[in-house]
Amino acid sequence: MVGLGLLAVPTGAGAAPVLPPVTPEELVASVLTADPDAFAGTVEVDNSLGLPPLPDVPQAGDGTSTARVWSDGEDGGRVQLPTADGEKTFVSDGTTFWAYDSQGRTVTEGTGADRPARPDAADPAAAATEAIRMLQSSSTVTVDGTAEVAGRPAYELVLSPAPDERTLLREVRIAVDAEQRVPLRMTVLATGSSDPALQVGFTELAFGPQDPALFTFTPPPGSTVVEPDAERPEGLPERPGTAPTVVGDGWDTVVLATVPATGEGEGTGMDLRALGTPVSGPWGSGTLIGTAVANAIVTDDGRVAVGAVPEQVLTEALAR
Amino acid sequence: MTSSPTLAAATTPPPAAAGPLAARAVGLRKTFGSTVAVDGVDLDVPAGSVLGMLGPNGSGKTTLIRMLLGLTRADAGTAELLGHPVPDGAARALPHVGALVEGPGFHPFLSGRENLLRVAATEPLLGAREIAGAVDAALDRVGLADAAGRRFRGYSLGMKQRLGLAGALLLPRRLVVLDEPTNGLDPAGTRDVRRIIAELHDGGATVIVSSHLLAEVEATCTHVAVLQSGSLVAAGGLAALLESGTGGLDVVTPDVDLALETLRAAGIAAYSAPGDEPGVVVGEDGPPTAETVALLVRAGVAVQEARRRRARLEELFARLTEETS
Amino acid sequence: MTTAPVLDPVSDAPRAAPLGRLLAAELRWVLRRPRTLVMLGLFALIPVLISIGVATAGATGRGPGLVSAVAGNGLVLPIVALTLSMALLLPLAVAMAAADAIAGESAHGTLRGLLLSPVSRLRLVVMKAFGVLVVATLATVVVAAVGVLAGLVVVGGADGQLVTLSGTALGPGAALLRVGLVVVFVVGQLAAVGAVALAVSSVTDHPLVVLASVLGALIVFGVLSAIPALEWLQPWLLTSGWTAGVDALRDPLPLGGMIESSLRALCYVAVGMGLTTYRMLRRDA
Repeated sequence: MVGLGLLAVPTGAGAAPVLPPVTPEELVASVLTADPDAFAGTVEVDNSLGLPPLPDVPQAGDGTSTARVWSDGEDGGRVQLPTADGEKTFVSDGTTFWAYDSQGRTVTEGTGADRPARPDAADPAAAATEAIRMLQSSSTVTVDGTAEVAGRPAYELVLSPAPDERTLLREVRIAVDAEQRVPLRMTVLATGSSDPALQVGFTELAFGPQDPALFTFTPPPGSTVVEPDAERPEGLPERPGTAPTVVGDGWDTVVLATVPATGEGEGTGMDLRALGTPVSGPWGSGTLIGTAVANAIVTDDGRVAVGAVPEQVLTEALAR
Repeated sequence: MTSSPTLAAATTPPPAAAGPLAARAVGLRKTFGSTVAVDGVDLDVPAGSVLGMLGPNGSGKTTLIRMLLGLTRADAGTAELLGHPVPDGAARALPHVGALVEGPGFHPFLSGRENLLRVAATEPLLGAREIAGAVDAALDRVGLADAAGRRFRGYSLGMKQRLGLAGALLLPRRLVVLDEPTNGLDPAGTRDVRRIIAELHDGGATVIVSSHLLAEVEATCTHVAVLQSGSLVAAGGLAALLESGTGGLDVVTPDVDLALETLRAAGIAAYSAPGDEPGVVVGEDGPPTAETVALLVRAGVAVQEARRRRARLEELFARLTEETS
Repeated sequence: MTTAPVLDPVSDAPRAAPLGRLLAAELRWVLRRPRTLVMLGLFALIPVLISIGVATAGATGRGPGLVSAVAGNGLVLPIVALTLSMALLLPLAVAMAAADAIAGESAHGTLRGLLLSPVSRLRLVVMKAFGVLVVATLATVVVAAVGVLAGLVVVGGADGQLVTLSGTALGPGAALLRVGLVVVFVVGQLAAVGAVALAVSSVTDHPLVVLASVLGALIVFGVLSAIPALEWLQPWLLTSGWTAGVDALRDPLPLGGMIESSLRALCYVAVGMGLTTYRMLRRDA
């Protein structure tokens, strides 16, 4: 029973390590210029965003999922998203990328510009660095003590929205590795809740040279190789024809995009109306889908506005 | 019934606690819930004796045996087996003990021989090379040699019982405990059990037999213990028990008057025998048989026959169990 | 009347039949039991049936589910078959063995015979645990071995290789090592089931009670692990790591899940065997 109890204790819950003091500016600068060594790690995503689980991306739904991440310290990287009965693998050697889906045994292979959206959300280092870059100018940045993540001492960097930012978020906490200055954990906290809406962090992390074979990919026997822009075999909607536009900056950024009218062909297999509430205004009418940290409006004419902002900011963006 | 060895034994009943004891119970008590199965039993089993354990169903015979063998922990009291405390010292005693308790326990899908081989493999005193021989010898001894290859499932009740007996007799034992050994046996089987008990007895082993068949106990046992509702109501040498309280010596003689005169002159209570046969009956507190007969013969009485007037075990049993119930 | 010596200091030394002989006897008994053999035969059928199902469904594996990973990728079959059997059939088989081991022997009256031989109660526990472990190992090995054969013969390998879920190809040697790893992992989990089942077996005379308890526990654990509010219970539930065997199909091999499950299984083994021993030292036979 004691043994079971030990298993149940979350790892990395040790006392806060003692580290030399650092100013927020130094810390942010060191993160943005960090050049971490090669590493292998396991990432846990704790998701309480309140999104429904999507058929193709179970990780989007509430719950805990893991990802395994490797980096060769240069451009090569590898991310594996295991599910109960399958796995998605993303490999890049810096010039060529591969995406493998065990369910259809399909390999998507491409180079440079074709690079599909990598599951950066699964890599706390990449996601957090991006967040710092985006939010830095519109935030109050502080260092709030230290923490231990995946057995490594880290500084807790806190980004809180500047007072004039209209956002649903209270703060974003980023644990930065004291030695490598790479983000180890990112926690997104919404206003009005003490539990993180989203937490992405390493549970295991080891820096050191990695097997070069990890950063290349040979399509296995029996697999199908598809071009990145060729029709996806699983009937996923094609990418929107027009590139998304960004309204605003910092915390109240709103992304505007258009989607092909739903109900045509296979579609996503989901009626968006069932997920949200109908809204209307001078900009038209549509469906509001709200979560703890973000809102989205899908208009009836196929426009989408998404942001970590109240509904009003979305409608203002749509009304432009 | 009145074979001479038993008579001889009767004249010198072994004192209960004097000799070495093969088994001993002191104040043994066992309850199951609110039922008292065995209630403060003190019992000595002299080494070399054949003890018949008698009692109606549910009188605690099997529970007492199970406590003596260490299968059940007593609530109170102590038990000893071959001089070792039970259950703590059972590992020292049990290798020398063969037992058939609560019916034969075997696996239906194995043959008789395979079942015995499995038991024999666990016998500490059997060397690896002796196992097969010991199993065959035991099967032969209980008359199962021909059916040894058949599955236990197909055995008749009697054959199962014989196999159980064979398990207890896999090697020479110092103590053999047989709980209802003749259950399900035909008359031939019962005779075999008697023969085996006699052989064990002749070999110097102690035997404890529980049975509800009184005639069987009377025929094979030297000692008797009678249980009633968990209590021991009588225990001791069989002959002594049978003579105690039932007494009397029947002397067949035509010289009834002379005999009565002689006996009364010697201060021995006697009266003329009722019934057709002429003779006298000597009172139960009279001297031993040989002494009485010698006295009569010296006085010139023509003694045609003298026999101890004995109660059948059945009467004794009925009397003992009625008295207490 | 000759009287045998009652106390003999020489021959009254505590004696026991050699442990090896006891284990051999137990092994023989387990293997002669018809239901053990029937059960092993059924376990051999599982991978065969999966392979036939996969082969007739078409050579290309498209769609979700572990079974589809087998299509055209025969060496995956043993691991998938083991993972599927782990859900119910393997634990039940082990529970059956544990039920027969103590409760069944008691019901047949043979437990008494063993104790009277005498086999010390501690050795009896060792003997019985060994027997259950043998059944668990045999059943697992049968599923794995027949799985490899059926995978290669009926399904056909991917050029004799195993294509992992991560899209890499392993040679036959590495693939068999993975299968061996899963066999060890599964036997460890089954040992935990067996230990707990033995503990139940040691308190009852009815083998069916053991089967029912294990089946009930599997159902309760399944329900508990499906309730999100009880997520904190997960680390205590034996079943929550039972799919970790699938990790052997990922590359590089993640051992974390299997190690954690194995440690959990070890705790169950310790508790189960502790209870079994405690109970067997006191049990009436």
